Amino acid sequence: MIAYFLTITVLLLIAPLLLSFIKMVKMKLLYKKPISIFQGYRNFSKLMHKETIVSQEASQITRVAPFLILSPLLVILFFLPPVVQGAFYVSFVDAFTITGLISLSTFFLMLLGLDSASAFGGMGSSREAFIAALVEPAMVLTVFSVSMMAGDLGVGQAGVNLAAHFPKAHMASFLFAAISFFILLIAENGRIPVDNPETHLELTMVHEAMILDITGVYLAIVETAASVKFIIFASLFASLFLPFGLQHTLPVAIMLFLVKLFMIATVVALIEVSTAKLRLFKVPNLLGIAIVFAFLSLITFYVLGA
Amino acid sequence: MGVDFFIGLFLATLIVSLFTSRLYRLILWYSMNSLVLGILALLTGKALDDKAMLITGIATLLIKAVGIPYLLKNFSEKFHFVRQIQPEIKVHYAIILIPAILVFTFYLSEPITHMINGNANYVAVSISSLFLSLLLMMEHRYVAPKIIGFLSMENALFLLGITATGGMPMLVELGIFFDLLMAIVVMNLLFHKEEEHS
Repeated sequence: MIAYFLTITVLLLIAPLLLSFIKMVKMKLLYKKPISIFQGYRNFSKLMHKETIVSQEASQITRVAPFLILSPLLVILFFLPPVVQGAFYVSFVDAFTITGLISLSTFFLMLLGLDSASAFGGMGSSREAFIAALVEPAMVLTVFSVSMMAGDLGVGQAGVNLAAHFPKAHMASFLFAAISFFILLIAENGRIPVDNPETHLELTMVHEAMILDITGVYLAIVETAASVKFIIFASLFASLFLPFGLQHTLPVAIMLFLVKLFMIATVVALIEVSTAKLRLFKVPNLLGIAIVFAFLSLITFYVLGA
Repeated sequence: MGVDFFIGLFLATLIVSLFTSRLYRLILWYSMNSLVLGILALLTGKALDDKAMLITGIATLLIKAVGIPYLLKNFSEKFHFVRQIQPEIKVHYAIILIPAILVFTFYLSEPITHMINGNANYVAVSISSLFLSLLLMMEHRYVAPKIIGFLSMENALFLLGITATGGMPMLVELGIFFDLLMAIVVMNLLFHKEEEHS
């Protein structure tokens, strides 16, 4: 139980750090003067001290939505697979629950974008709906096929089973599922081929467009939600597709897990630097590749058993 | 385990190359595909303790993963190939088509797999990659991606050779390599002629 709560606390604390780390790696690779790795925390405390102003046209939703964006993601944190062997975990939560909770969070984010009645917000919301609708089938298929390989529908249990019996006989379908999940990680978190998290250009905004009209505490909450979402996807990837090192003692296991998270963040940063942002109507192509790989992973598992 | 992983990678690089719309990226994916193929040949050669297959594996790495992509890139600079190669088959249809091909070939190869001792699924993967490279040839209008489709079809056949039969005779394989090189040279001449005409 201690390990369970410790893991969740560590993940929550490290969430802003990971996004700042990506930004830092990117700036370093672009020969800019890199930002501090603690910039995420600084932004958070700055926004907490700022005055909170709400648009005149905004209804109650703007006051409620930030909390409803963050809370489903916080709930998911409790359902993640364990980091160390023997730790407590929730075994009965399956892929549909996690996908549903993420969609709930996205739904309130879209409402928040619409609520401020600015042109940008609505545009961002419609784009987000477009991407989210395409992500979900691939997400369910991928986690489903991983659960199939692990022999259990519950995500937590699947993580434990994979760590205990790595699916050596199913490496091909495991690889396809990993590729698909990585594309989803990029798409859901609005990283570069899908959305550029750093600009406020009209053409490139998805996530930024929706949160353009909020400030202060609300913005701090929404940004925290974004970082928590990234850490959920990264730790799902780490515990489902890199399932090793659980047998160590608690500090070593957590350190190893953090190393995996930072590795994933580095790969994301490298992809961000080396690719151009896709046009919005090209995004379905990328997600189509994700769907093809997820489906391929399922049929390779079923038909070939490889 | 290792062979399964690389066979997955082989299919994955081929599928990604079906979605690319830039020539250099396509050449890069072809090179990756051949790299994986070379590693597969080395792995199976080591498992079977077959020295000839090790040689062909190294030849694959040198010729297909480095040589041919380099030559193709050189040609494309020399003859000003069209580098924006939008697939003629829309991505939305390809998303349906590719899994359909895969399911079809996986079931198609099921009767054959009983006849082969060892890893039956490699046969299925290599036959499906044969079909996918056919699709790669079909979906492009320009010559250069068609050539790459032809080359990856050869890769698929090579995979079938090393996994299903436990290695073709080395002479045959080396013959195929020289055939490929000749094809590249002939292509060079062809483009040269075309250049002179226009």
